[in-house]
Amino acid sequence: MYAYDTFDHALVNARVAEFRDQVDRRMTGELTEEEFRPLRLMNGLYLQLHAYMLRVAIPYGTLSSVQMRKLAHVARRYDKGYGHFTTRQNIQYNWPKLSETPDILQELADVEMHAIQTSGNCIRNVTTDQFAGATADEVADPRPYAELIRQWSSFHPEFSFLPRKFKIAITGAQEDRAAVKWHDIGLVVKENKEGEIGFEVLAGGGMGRTPVIAKTMRDFLPVKDLLSYLEAMLRVYNEQGRRDNKYKARIKILVEAMGVEEYTRQVEEEWEKIRHIPIDVPDEEVARIKSFFAPPPLAVLSDEVAEVDDLAAKNFIFKSWLANNTGRHKVPGYVNATISLKPHGGIPGDASDEQMDLVADLADAFSQSEIRVSHEQNLILPHVARKDLPALWAKLDAAGLGTPNAGLLTDIIACPGLDYCSLANTRSIPIAQTITERFDDLKRLMDIGPLKIKISGCINSCGHHHAGHIGILGVDRKGTENYQLLLGGSGAEDASKAAILGPGFDEHGIVDAVEKVVAVYLGEREDGEEFLAAYRRLGPDVFKEAVYGSH
Amino acid sequence: MALINLTGIQPIDYTALADEAKPGEGETIAVPVAQLIEENADLFATAGSVGAIIGTETPFDALGDIVGKIDFAVIEFPAFGDGRGFSLAVRLRKDFGFKGEIRAVGPVIPDQALFLLRAGFDTVEASGERKAAFEAALERFPAFYQSDFGGQVSVAHTRHSAEGQRKAS
Amino acid sequence: MAKKVTGPQLILANRLDDGRAVFLTAAGEWSKQVADAAVANSDDELENLMSVAQAAEVANQVVSVTAVAADESGKALAPAHIKFAMQSRGPSVRADLGYQVSPNWEQ
Ligand code: HEM
Ligand code: SF4
Repeated sequence: MYAYDTFDHALVNARVAEFRDQVDRRMTGELTEEEFRPLRLMNGLYLQLHAYMLRVAIPYGTLSSVQMRKLAHVARRYDKGYGHFTTRQNIQYNWPKLSETPDILQELADVEMHAIQTSGNCIRNVTTDQFAGATADEVADPRPYAELIRQWSSFHPEFSFLPRKFKIAITGAQEDRAAVKWHDIGLVVKENKEGEIGFEVLAGGGMGRTPVIAKTMRDFLPVKDLLSYLEAMLRVYNEQGRRDNKYKARIKILVEAMGVEEYTRQVEEEWEKIRHIPIDVPDEEVARIKSFFAPPPLAVLSDEVAEVDDLAAKNFIFKSWLANNTGRHKVPGYVNATISLKPHGGIPGDASDEQMDLVADLADAFSQSEIRVSHEQNLILPHVARKDLPALWAKLDAAGLGTPNAGLLTDIIACPGLDYCSLANTRSIPIAQTITERFDDLKRLMDIGPLKIKISGCINSCGHHHAGHIGILGVDRKGTENYQLLLGGSGAEDASKAAILGPGFDEHGIVDAVEKVVAVYLGEREDGEEFLAAYRRLGPDVFKEAVYGSH
Repeated sequence: MALINLTGIQPIDYTALADEAKPGEGETIAVPVAQLIEENADLFATAGSVGAIIGTETPFDALGDIVGKIDFAVIEFPAFGDGRGFSLAVRLRKDFGFKGEIRAVGPVIPDQALFLLRAGFDTVEASGERKAAFEAALERFPAFYQSDFGGQVSVAHTRHSAEGQRKAS
Repeated sequence: MAKKVTGPQLILANRLDDGRAVFLTAAGEWSKQVADAAVANSDDELENLMSVAQAAEVANQVVSVTAVAADESGKALAPAHIKFAMQSRGPSVRADLGYQVSPNWEQ
């Protein structure tokens, strides 16, 4: 894992001191709310329905056990004993006091964490594949590049007041688990014929009220050019992105308006002017950052473990957990293990302080003290020996963390919605709870197979409903909560936009509708065909007929 | 209003030229960019020193047409969140090697002092009450991750220089 | 934002320090209980309440002052819109948190 040096520490500490001063000035009235609001947002502090909300970055989704214990401590000491892991590899606390947030940030700074640029119109926390560095299907670990971008984008003198928020995602694997095509900039790590590492560069993706899938600008950009190229991309956007209408201010609107070819041309023209001045870091710096992400020293073990097979043969739940929640590691004999934060009937993404402490302990015992956070709102132990799985699973299961549903229908992404969020039209969490209760039969879930449901409480799309195989969007219908059903989205390498099926439903109707959609799938699927593939083959009509009847 | 000096430059004392007005002989004036791009030989002949008033809507390329003719630049922020002002200053310094004074006017806030300095601004016009806050903000951060036009070298480069290795250890 | 509300209204804000939702009372104080809220039944009454609320905002006691439609039809006074009703109760998915537990749930 990356470790701060004196420079990184000094910068993050300076930021805490600055924010402490800003909070003091607000409390004494020297700053008005209007002036303070953008300053608190730059430190991840929002005002929600019941209280402030603090969003803390988990850069590229990697946490040490020490950091996880600190997150638990913050939840206990300053909040109500829990936190919410989000789709952007952040954690949100729902009840902090304004006057205590500087103390929280100082405690986080002590373990090399911060809330810098987790909100506001700046370059946000860079997200990656949760299995980075721990998956068999990867070209290279994307995290060193994410760290490079984190540093370059932090307190950037030119790009801290952009037209709108700016989100960058990187994947190092063929299978895109970072939803790069739904980001303002997406980077896919590639290796060229000469064995050199670089990136495919995509631009202009985003959700919100105008969902757009990012387009490729360049097939291969060498690592050494990464930062100057990003700088050129941001400069053109900063200059020409719309500032008259916040719904049209994201880069996706600019790229759509000028066309990706013209945007690329302007970026490359700008890039030619700047690529030889020292934005890009010295090679030694890339090497220095990379050295922190060296693979952990894992002794190769056998993949065949009798105890694991025996337990799987006897225990269907463990067998399902093994099938759904563990994935192939780079090193034989190891897996990455997903800890589901989606217990049936529970709140997607929430974890209590005790659960966080337990996960930290388990990381120490079984996973090189490392933990990951996924954009699907789950936690991951990235380096677990197969032989340790029975012991690990028993401890998780006892703490309500052993739900074997990773990637299945009940592994639902849901935004906080109207239970917390001041922008919401409707609640999201109760819909997730009702669906997971309705589908609380593991055999049935396993039979249905991979199916991603994603729920947003308003068009801002924090719950990624545009990218859901089944998406649910909350709308305000004359003051009552109404839910639209969308089908056919994908956040993976085959990204697609989900389409609205028909009129919306109330909170019960939407769950019935989901059940009908699943029934159509089960009836129509061909051998081994997953939900999304079946939908793409069948088209919306059969689903429409089942859900709305044939009028 | 007070003038906050970020770089210690000798600030220029100018008059904003009223619409359609003609500068006095040898006067130091600031004129909107559009007016400078148009026919303006007289203006330059009469005035002693000419600066450009640059709104954030100004296309970055337009700077190329005026930069050789002006002695100073005044960038007007309509709102402190309009980040184009920073990029305009960066362009003047980076693309055109502009050495004259760059001033920020408009509702920029003390917490942006270092952003302004690093983008290439020399001076800021702000309410007198905020002078102390601006000056305090200038002292806040010991280093940055980006190289800038105030001569700061990025942390990434410092780390690998002899001096940086001494600091980091 | 919200459409112009007509009919009875009450005033809602968040406290500056802890952000907790509070309701303006007839005595010009801020209560955690919606039941204590003053209800304005005319433009004049609303204007009076708003000026008290805005003074509290200027005095840095509260932020995000909003006048919302009041529903007096049920047993108890409540904000009419679900979003503001939520603020008077707490998150529906955590019955153990918020004013739904008790107005003094944090003591
Ligand atoms: C609760 C407080 C939150 C607020 C006020 C908030 C606000 C917003 C807003 C205004 C947008 C739309 C931006 C735009 O289209 O320009 C947005 C988008 C988004 N937010 Fe949130 N959000 C919140 C929580 C969350 C949470 C909990 C997550 C993760 C679960 C999240 C993840 C995202 C994502 C992924 C997007 C979509 C980005 C895109 O449009 O491409 N947000 N949020
Ligand atoms: S999608 Fe809407 S309701 Fe959900 S968290 Fe985002 S802004 Fe709030």
